[in-house]
Amino acid sequence: MTENDFNRRDFLKVLGWGGAAVALSGCGNTSIQDGQETVTSYVTLPSFVVPSISNYFNSTCAQCDAGCNIMGRVREGRVLKAEGNPNSPINRGRMCGLGQSGVQAHYNPDRVREPLLRTGDKGETLTWDKALGLISEKLNGTKGAEIAFVTGGMSGHVQALLGNYMDALGSKNHFSYEAISPAVLRAANKKAYGMSMPRYRIDKAKVVVSFGADFLGAWISPVHFSQQYAQFRKGTRPEGRGVLVQIEPKMTLTGANADRWIAVRPGTEGVLALGIINVLGKAGISIPADIAAVSKEYTAERTSKETDVSAEQIEKLAALLKERTPSLVLAGSAAEGYAHGSQNAAAIALLNRVLGNVGKTVEASASVPFPQIAPTVGNRSSLNALNDGLAAGKYKVVFSYGVNPVFSAPASMKFKDNFAKADFKVAFAHYMDETALAADLILPLDSAMEDWATVVPEYMAAPEGAGSNAYAQMSFRQPMMEKVFPDTRGVGDILLALLKQRKADEYKPFDDFYSYLRNAVLKNKVALGGKAGDDDEVFWNETLSKGIVPFKGIAGSVSAKASAAGLKLPAAADADPSYPLRLIPAVSASMRDGRNANEPWLQESPDPLTTSVWDSWVEINPKTAAKLGIVEGDIVEIASRSGSIKTQAYLFPGIHPDAVSVPVGYGHDAMGRYARGVGANVFGMLDAVYDKETGELALNETSVKISKTGQRVIIVKEEGPAGGSQAGKQKIAVQVSADKVDLSKEV
Amino acid sequence: MKCFLRSLTLLVGLFFYASSHAADALPTLTTPDDVGPVIEQPIEFPHFRHAGDAKDGGMQINCMYCHTYARRSMVAGIPPIQKCIGCHQSIESVRDKPRIQKLFEYWDAKKAIPWKKVHDLPDFVRFNHERHIQRFYFQQDRPYQEVCGYCHGNVKAMTVAQRQKPITMGWCASCHQKDHLVSANSSKTGHGPNDCFTCHK
Repeated sequence: MTENDFNRRDFLKVLGWGGAAVALSGCGNTSIQDGQETVTSYVTLPSFVVPSISNYFNSTCAQCDAGCNIMGRVREGRVLKAEGNPNSPINRGRMCGLGQSGVQAHYNPDRVREPLLRTGDKGETLTWDKALGLISEKLNGTKGAEIAFVTGGMSGHVQALLGNYMDALGSKNHFSYEAISPAVLRAANKKAYGMSMPRYRIDKAKVVVSFGADFLGAWISPVHFSQQYAQFRKGTRPEGRGVLVQIEPKMTLTGANADRWIAVRPGTEGVLALGIINVLGKAGISIPADIAAVSKEYTAERTSKETDVSAEQIEKLAALLKERTPSLVLAGSAAEGYAHGSQNAAAIALLNRVLGNVGKTVEASASVPFPQIAPTVGNRSSLNALNDGLAAGKYKVVFSYGVNPVFSAPASMKFKDNFAKADFKVAFAHYMDETALAADLILPLDSAMEDWATVVPEYMAAPEGAGSNAYAQMSFRQPMMEKVFPDTRGVGDILLALLKQRKADEYKPFDDFYSYLRNAVLKNKVALGGKAGDDDEVFWNETLSKGIVPFKGIAGSVSAKASAAGLKLPAAADADPSYPLRLIPAVSASMRDGRNANEPWLQESPDPLTTSVWDSWVEINPKTAAKLGIVEGDIVEIASRSGSIKTQAYLFPGIHPDAVSVPVGYGHDAMGRYARGVGANVFGMLDAVYDKETGELALNETSVKISKTGQRVIIVKEEGPAGGSQAGKQKIAVQVSADKVDLSKEV
Repeated sequence: MKCFLRSLTLLVGLFFYASSHAADALPTLTTPDDVGPVIEQPIEFPHFRHAGDAKDGGMQINCMYCHTYARRSMVAGIPPIQKCIGCHQSIESVRDKPRIQKLFEYWDAKKAIPWKKVHDLPDFVRFNHERHIQRFYFQQDRPYQEVCGYCHGNVKAMTVAQRQKPITMGWCASCHQKDHLVSANSSKTGHGPNDCFTCHK
């Protein structure tokens, strides 16, 4: 057997060494690739461009509605990355992951590239002239009342043009819709403080009690609030290190950062606020009579019973608020997504009055003196109005821009069917999303990095100092590079072309939206902070290079007269035994309402709490899961009265045992290769329950039941086991199984 | 014994296998073999006419008049056509030469000239022109033809450029190990950086 000892393994060894020798000998000149590629070469080049060195252009982020000011890093004619603009009072040089992904919206391979027309089941491409001609043709003989335009929240000169276009058509049907809208907060603030968006000063507060406001993740202007939060947490601050208490049934990113996280029974946030007021009154804080009349019923015992928060916890919280002023109490979407959401928000706002925070940590903001460019905010009730009109066959021609209601409307609204009733639907589209697929004519848009626009933020952050209650700003969005796809157009350019069809003479001087915008800005030079004698060209160039135009707004003032009149909180209803659990649709920091779902960085960046990627999940409390026999990775069916979805179960101690939570924004069946078929769309299964005062969709009012499907998967997630060993083989924490953890008792 | 024989067979096999490639594995520095391929360019640009010595009919233009980014940036850069036209619009004597006609064709069509890369390093290598020009041209005050020529060869005698040096890691390192004067007015010396990260990042 000696000869045969030189077996296969030895043979492979020789081959292996030989292979290595070949690889080593390959390190000669062969790796230089002369003459294969072309050099970056130009015909003309501005003197500030040096190949391999970046230039920065100031612009405005378009990924969410906060309107952060950004700088785009541009090298050799390509935008590579966005950074925050350090001179911005909103984001102060910082940016979030959602904003960073803006370049993926810009370079996205699934962007619509040319105008498309639906003929029956098929589509065909057509030229812009034909597309715009077709719109003109369809509008001829259509009355203004039969035309509707649905958009997201808007502001600036694009909005001004849209307003002019609607006037030219004689239509008053501009519907402004946001799938996730703080509409309840706006209304409650208006009542309590006299303005819908006062400025919150987390950085000035000693204690922040947030009723479900995920201000570090997805609430209003998260990058701005994160900056404030960083100040708030500094021990070197004159006020000392701040304490954050988060009260919500499902732990958000902000909840995970809090010193104390309190799992309240879903929907009883208002009760808890009144309970705290009651305890504060007993502790010697003077409570105005009208508030005392409402809060006196809510003793610590009763509140504890209704909210699932122990009386001791409530007393501790009241003591903390009494001891440290000023504090700040915030109401967020988790407290507002109910039929009595406005009542919850009103009760929470009372706390700020009782604690004397109004004027200290709730500051006045300015309003914009130019109504045409002032922000128009969206809400669900306008979608309902549009839907009702469509169902009644009132609208013949419908335009949509920047919204995706076919995806985000609850199935029970039958929006898709009603949308189909309109004769001619035009979608201004970036992607072939669900709404664009249901349209007849699709007009491809420039990305936010190719287009001109001005943005006036709804939440008006202001620099420190006197006169901040009169500070207003307009931000510029300017192209950072040539178009990626040559046949797309800016929304302003399209609206201008449409306006020229109606009012050729008035808009003749403007070749494109750029010239319209330049003219409009220069006409108001003095109001926008310039001097009458300034040279137009110099003023315009300086404005663009800064990207931010501060101007004098109408100074506002906050009123500390939040009244308890008419405040009535319903007793917590007993759960329907056939649908025993409360569904809390979660708005995650990266996915939001799903409009950016086709940007792979957002799909692959782990959710901060579950670390799950590329899929939806349902968060279930381990106690509830144990009762139902569910383990992590079980595919479960979540059924409501209005629909059902299937997704993977994730056992999560940071959720109230009576609630389950599924993130929104996943589950597209169109839009593009990265979004389609990833996860499940929770919007569709929501019950059509609305806040009684504002008509906003009550996101958290859907009751569900959960059943196992029998399938099980391994959840793709970043996290390892809690307390896992590190390199030194030392346990860093005692491992506690998920069903033993009770986060509300910690800290 | 069996084991010894087996290892011996393996070792001998390995030796022969490796030695058959030894000639490729150890390139010597700067031999005629290092000269790169002749690369066909869209316009046969006469470097000798622009940069050559006056006695050879050249105009002795500094390399960095056209490759203007070399002192400011990682890349030396190809001048935009604008720069060529800047001079050539007033040089009537050569206007009807075929190469100049071709140049004006590109200019009139506003099309960039698709020049091919002559020194194309792999993407995992970052070579920085600026550092070398600043050190040897500005600080040591050496003649530009020597500074550029050390890597690019005697370009002033070429028409289109051709690679003259191996431009391999060993070749780069051989120079980085030498002591060079820190500046023209100093007798201090220092050698080039030797960190992997300097070029591979």
